[in-house]
Amino acid sequence: MPQVKIVAKNFMDMVASLPAMKLDKLYQNAFICQAILRSMPPLAKRYVLQLLFIDAPVTGKMLEESVLADGLSKHKVAIDRLVQLRVLTEALDRKKEATYRMNPTFQMNVQKLIVHGGVLPREPMPSTAGFRLPSLEELDAYAVQQWECFLLHLISSSEAEKATTNISSSMMKVFQRGLLSQKDDKEPPRLTEGGFQFLLMDTNAQLWYIIREYIGNSEERGLDSADLVSFLLELSFHATGEAYNINTLSDIQRAIIRDLADLGLVKLQQGRKESWFIPTKLATNLSISLSDTSSRKQGYVVVETNFRMYAYSSSKLHCEILRLFARVEYQLPNLIVGAITKESLYKAFQNGITAEQIISFLQQNAHPRVAERIPTVPENVTDQIRLWESDLNRVECIPAHFFEEFPSREVFEAACDHARECGGFLWENSKKMWLVVKAESFAYMKEFLRGKKQ
Amino acid sequence: MSPPVPSKILTDDVSLLMVLIDTNPHFWSSIKPHFSFSKFLSHVLAFLNSILLLNQLNQVVVIATGINACGYVFDSSSGSVSQRAESLLPKLEEFAENDESLSERDDDSGNGVGSSLLSGSLSMALCYIQRVFRSGPLHPQPRILCLHGSPDGPGQYVAIMNSIFSAQRSMVPIDSCVVGIQHSAFLQQASYITGGVYLKPQQLDGLFQYLATVFATDLHSRNFLRLPKPVGVDFRASCFCHKNTIDMGFICSVCLSIFCKHQKKCSTCGSTFGQAKTHDPSASQQR
Repeated sequence: MPQVKIVAKNFMDMVASLPAMKLDKLYQNAFICQAILRSMPPLAKRYVLQLLFIDAPVTGKMLEESVLADGLSKHKVAIDRLVQLRVLTEALDRKKEATYRMNPTFQMNVQKLIVHGGVLPREPMPSTAGFRLPSLEELDAYAVQQWECFLLHLISSSEAEKATTNISSSMMKVFQRGLLSQKDDKEPPRLTEGGFQFLLMDTNAQLWYIIREYIGNSEERGLDSADLVSFLLELSFHATGEAYNINTLSDIQRAIIRDLADLGLVKLQQGRKESWFIPTKLATNLSISLSDTSSRKQGYVVVETNFRMYAYSSSKLHCEILRLFARVEYQLPNLIVGAITKESLYKAFQNGITAEQIISFLQQNAHPRVAERIPTVPENVTDQIRLWESDLNRVECIPAHFFEEFPSREVFEAACDHARECGGFLWENSKKMWLVVKAESFAYMKEFLRGKKQ
Repeated sequence: MSPPVPSKILTDDVSLLMVLIDTNPHFWSSIKPHFSFSKFLSHVLAFLNSILLLNQLNQVVVIATGINACGYVFDSSSGSVSQRAESLLPKLEEFAENDESLSERDDDSGNGVGSSLLSGSLSMALCYIQRVFRSGPLHPQPRILCLHGSPDGPGQYVAIMNSIFSAQRSMVPIDSCVVGIQHSAFLQQASYITGGVYLKPQQLDGLFQYLATVFATDLHSRNFLRLPKPVGVDFRASCFCHKNTIDMGFICSVCLSIFCKHQKKCSTCGSTFGQAKTHDPSASQQR
């Protein structure tokens, strides 16, 4: 089975992959410094704080000293991340030891944040302006509705039934790139394997995926990706539920805001004279590095040991998602009843969904009543799902090369050992002196055997 | 019997930091030439802001420890988003005035610097933490940081020990940073028993650096970091009868209360003792 996996890449990985010039430019904004600091692993945060008021370069040894032996790998990860983000710059001193120095712009901005505090790029509009702001609950509901609408659109377009959605289709194309594939114009677009996997991810991971696509696509639309990243980070520091005047935005940002409104990241409202945008939770969560924040959402699925599944939900989206891997039997006003069957799972596997994804989906969305239990999903069900998956790929094909007629037993054994060392060993028969190695290590083997001959 | 033990934490490095600030005016005036209270505050505020900066879910609560009262002066979870630590200043001022007015009323603190009510603020911190534990399955990892300067008050021995043990039971480490001249035996024991860090900074001018390097470390990172170890812990106890710090004394065989002189009857549990044979103490204790 092909292993196509959408890596739910963190927003910050994307920032880290920006070219150096653009990164340095980003650090001029104090809020980006803050967001980046928050995204770091704990040890890296500690190093930043430790070096914050030190102007001279510090040797790597000094930082390493405070780490216990079993934390060394974490130390390396932290330092790598800091260097990758260009928060620390590495240099070699006279004794050829690595020294680190903090990015002066970043350092200055974080110092300022700690000592003086920061000022948001724009002030919220005064609430006396004569309009009613939606309450936080309404805003959350709006964000969820908009997001579900987007996901439903994704599913329904693959089923060729035209749902009435109010999402602009031009943006939709960008967001759905990679998730939908369309062979020609007559045929309706189909969900790709990535698309199916996408539906089972949690909301934050989905959001990151979409935003990544959006940014990756920005250059084609004549936008600077650094501008876009900095605006998105800035947006994540706006207060949820406050209104901000849209006139404070540049033209480019206004266009971005409109796109984001389609996804439910912001809510646009129009007054008599001016219009404003209200960031929702989705937007303010953007810079949060935690991947488990969404698991705080209440689940709705109960799976029983007899493979029956009850989902307490009235959402059409939930029904559609469950339909991806289960047979939905009937729907009551607040309950979806279904069963996990071999046929329904085979359909899911064909679409490129893996057993692990299904299981983790069931676990993450477990109804609070069963979520307390261990295991959340009955063991016999999870085992069976895994077994059915492994049923499908009993035979694995690996391109390989076959060696025979070795000049001597020593050469044969040396060749076997060498194959094991380079990880290309598949099979041997010592009686007949046959050896099979993976195709990718064929070149090494050839070289090795040629060396033996001489 | 069993306390609600923290079952599930938010993520590894989200912390709830309870900071106890010593506001004893006598102490601060005594070391003013070296290090003033305002200087101290500027270091601490920068530290609190940096804790809040590190993670949006981090929470900081500040409790002022006076000589007659204790009070919450800052809670980052209350009020609007991104509250800054500077906002504690007016409340702290109010608290200090109130504290002073209380000491004027009963005028008995004449001798020296006097001690501040560490036991009171410790219990307040623990109460707050218990409330957080009970608020739901997801909560930040709590720890207590005592920024203390005044000398120990032996009279608070029992109350402080009780707080320490309850902190130990709910697995809350007590970190202590002593800014005074002497070491604090109470805080040494507190940090030792609860697995916190005890530190007496050599140079108070670099207080922020000490705070940021040692005390900003979250509990998760402490597993693989080398933090300052205690050199020696003063385990001496105070007697229950005269509140004196003693090396050797008498212990009730029933409830383990400590006395400096032989008693006929235990004042804590009421059990009667037999006659002591000689002037040898019936039980000596070195803890």
